[in-house]
Amino acid sequence: MVRWIPGNGEEESLLLKSLGLGSVEELFRDIPEKARIRKIGLDPPMSEMQVVREVDRLLAKNRTLEEFDAFLGAGLYDRYTPAVVDGILQRSEFYTSYTPYQAEASQGVLQTLFEFQSLWVELTDMEVANASLYDGATAIGEAMLMARRLSPGHRFLLPSTLFWERRSVLENYAPRTDMEFVEVPCDPKTGRLDLGFIERESRRDCFGVLVEYPDSLGILQQDLPKVKAAIGDRPLIVSADPLALTILEPPGNWGADIVVGEGQGFGVSSSFGGPLLGLIACRHRDARMLPGRIVGATADGAGRRAFTLTLQAREQHIRRSRATSNICTNQTLVSLAFLAYATAMGPKGLAQLASELASRGQELAKALREVPGLKAPLVEAPFLWEFAVGVEGRGTDEFLRSMFGEGVLAGSSLADPRPGARAPRFPGFLTSVGERTDTAAIDRYARAARKVLGSPTSGGAP
Amino acid sequence: MTFRQARWDEPLLWEVRPPREGAPEAHLPDSIPPELRRRKAVRWPELSELEVARHFTRLSQMNFGIETSFYPLGSCTMKYNPRVSEVLARRPGVADLHPYQPEESVQGILAILWELERSLGRITGLPHISLQIAAGAHGEYVALRMTAAYLKDRGETQRTEVLLPDTAHGTNPASAAMAGFTTREIPSKDGCVDLRALDAALSERTAAFMLTNPNTAGLFEEDILEISDRVHRAGGVLYYDGANLNAILGKTNPGKMGFDVAHLNLHKTFATPHGGGGPGDGALCAGDRLRDYLPVPRLERKGRKFHLSYDHPKSIGKVKTAYGNVGLLLRAYAFIRAHGEEGVKRVSERAVLNSNYLGQRLGEHLPRAFKPLVKHEFVLSGAPLRERGVRTLDLAKRLLDEGVHAPTVYFPSLVEESLMVEAPETESKRDLDAFVEAFLRALHDSPEHLREAPVNLSVGRVDEVRAARALLLSWRDLEKAGAQGAGGAAAGSAAHTGP
Repeated sequence: MVRWIPGNGEEESLLLKSLGLGSVEELFRDIPEKARIRKIGLDPPMSEMQVVREVDRLLAKNRTLEEFDAFLGAGLYDRYTPAVVDGILQRSEFYTSYTPYQAEASQGVLQTLFEFQSLWVELTDMEVANASLYDGATAIGEAMLMARRLSPGHRFLLPSTLFWERRSVLENYAPRTDMEFVEVPCDPKTGRLDLGFIERESRRDCFGVLVEYPDSLGILQQDLPKVKAAIGDRPLIVSADPLALTILEPPGNWGADIVVGEGQGFGVSSSFGGPLLGLIACRHRDARMLPGRIVGATADGAGRRAFTLTLQAREQHIRRSRATSNICTNQTLVSLAFLAYATAMGPKGLAQLASELASRGQELAKALREVPGLKAPLVEAPFLWEFAVGVEGRGTDEFLRSMFGEGVLAGSSLADPRPGARAPRFPGFLTSVGERTDTAAIDRYARAARKVLGSPTSGGAP
Repeated sequence: MTFRQARWDEPLLWEVRPPREGAPEAHLPDSIPPELRRRKAVRWPELSELEVARHFTRLSQMNFGIETSFYPLGSCTMKYNPRVSEVLARRPGVADLHPYQPEESVQGILAILWELERSLGRITGLPHISLQIAAGAHGEYVALRMTAAYLKDRGETQRTEVLLPDTAHGTNPASAAMAGFTTREIPSKDGCVDLRALDAALSERTAAFMLTNPNTAGLFEEDILEISDRVHRAGGVLYYDGANLNAILGKTNPGKMGFDVAHLNLHKTFATPHGGGGPGDGALCAGDRLRDYLPVPRLERKGRKFHLSYDHPKSIGKVKTAYGNVGLLLRAYAFIRAHGEEGVKRVSERAVLNSNYLGQRLGEHLPRAFKPLVKHEFVLSGAPLRERGVRTLDLAKRLLDEGVHAPTVYFPSLVEESLMVEAPETESKRDLDAFVEAFLRALHDSPEHLREAPVNLSVGRVDEVRAARALLLSWRDLEKAGAQGAGGAAAGSAAHTGP
């Protein structure tokens, strides 16, 4: 049995004796008899070794990304993390510590969070960032609620291409019945946003506009820098990919009011979807409307630089029902991973990775374009390392399943899997290149696609 | 007293080496529109790997952690985070899985999540589970969204009010407001829910009553079955805030107490690390009343196969990307499997024993709020310190000098100058006794020393007022204020003072 409770069973009697009690049960006498339980129904204890073996036995039933040619993305990426990053994360002073409310005992965590905030400010060219939110999808939700605090109106403009999962999360962040979503159309051929629509609708009771950079189909809309001019003083929310921001013009330069993002690709593995990292930044004038924890620089009594949580009067533990958000626990350790990864890679390493992946993305599209039965990319628009693909003449799900049978995880469907859900405006799947995607993997992908699409009845999964 | 924290005057990354100016050093493919290409590279320094490692190692040395210090933090359950969980969570069999892989290729992790759901169902007595919860507050919010959907289905949209005791965690009212409800606080009596005040507040407008049991004063709400009856008779949903679950494992459970839905903080009770403030890890456990409204996908078992089902027409949908903080869920699974039935029961027995012991010993020196029999935590009042011209805050800072973390201070707010102390099961009697000694040294130190504390840490008492006034929130702000350099003052002149 594990020794996570100290004293080998002997300390309990010493403690009981000090309390003048004969049995530990006496400490639970305030629980009414009718509410008592006698057993939980869990399995017997295991040794550490047995737990390890049991977990390994179960994990062996998984097939990891390494076993496939994997082209999955949609915001969550399989990227190589330099070993130094995990060494930093495994410092127990970081991973086992509590929220740095006691600033003097927590300068390590506070300084890393200050550096993390500063980094997100640099990447976005915004002015103030917080210490993290749960993930990219909830960050969009929080940004929408923040826009609502900044601006009157009831209608929220969002992309018609928004991934169903993000859209569903967003609906759950819009509890007020007086909030309405308006989808901004884009040209089905070129992906270009309808700027006239945005300009018109933003003047009709609209409290905010969301754009993605790149969007859920991987499209880099070239008109994004013109959106702010079209919507005037309505808050512009940009959901941006952090790696893309190392090579793309930052949204702060083209008028964004709030920039959010998903930070998982920096320093943590995809880990079946979590933990992730929600990023958010805004302008100084709106700092008091931000959700979540913020670290600021100050000094101690002797004038030495020090860091502390600040603007806490926005938060739930002080402001309760009038807080800017309910968030308390955030993703601090993942913020540290983000920071450590970016530091280990350096600006040159990051920009080279981004441009390398963008080049491979073009290479993959070129290869898939040649495959009869695929429309790749689905929309003829600029993209980086991800793009949507259409499947002609048969269902996307069937195609993806057949590709799985060929050892290729070709992508993730754009369709909402809930029965009765609205069909996607752009039916197909999102495909994404990674660091493991070499020319040979691209060839295997294209070959498998030809085989799958060429055969009248496709094979199932192995 | 021999504790001294490292003091490194560690520069910010931008001060280690200034970033290079100019365009990004990368060759972009021609397909990227010229107007979207970054003109100036991200201002970010190039450091060697040793510089990186040294920077963060030095910073880590200026931080407490569970492996250096006891954290007697009430309502936070800072217990030992087993190392084996760190090893397991880094196994490629879980780390290298993408959430959008086909189900057939992830049967192993689904089996683990299934087992975890079943264990949590048994622990809570609420068998329908969603693990798609990032943290406690997120669980509250999701449960209230589910409550709203349930009430809408029943045509009871007039139920717009969420009731909570005045001892509730701040997240409770914040979540309720965010989910579109109004909130109403019920005054406590002797630290517990006052049934008469509850009766007076319950009405046809009541949507839910949010309660933690034991509550934030560490007291078990002995009237819980009566509370449950009354809330249900009034048509409300009874919500369990699982922050304090560490006190009752194997003794009672939320289902048995009559709760309809509960969130669990797996980063408290089930020992997943706090990470300096996150990531947390949550679970939402529902009884039959709210089951249909849980987020999708729901994990189902068909024969020997596990399946992520989206076929739940009443579900509120998605509340987060993918399926939850799986890397942490695996750690919680390992904790429960290792402890098993017997160990999980011992967790609460020892936690309650530790806290009652500490309560008895510290209660000889500062007044205890409420009755002496507590569960996992207890509340002291630092009000007598005032006679010596010092406050609870000074005592807390002085404790840091002893190498122990301070208790939770100034919460719950109904106790004057409160200190909320929790001693999880992983602390030994020796460590508890050492904490008492440290506490007494701090308590009996001179008012001057108390007000000057801390002196043994990397920095002295941090000026929080100045931070809120100067609002230096990034490296850019420091540059503008001309306040670079770790040794010098940060907030020489404010860059801006905000609106």
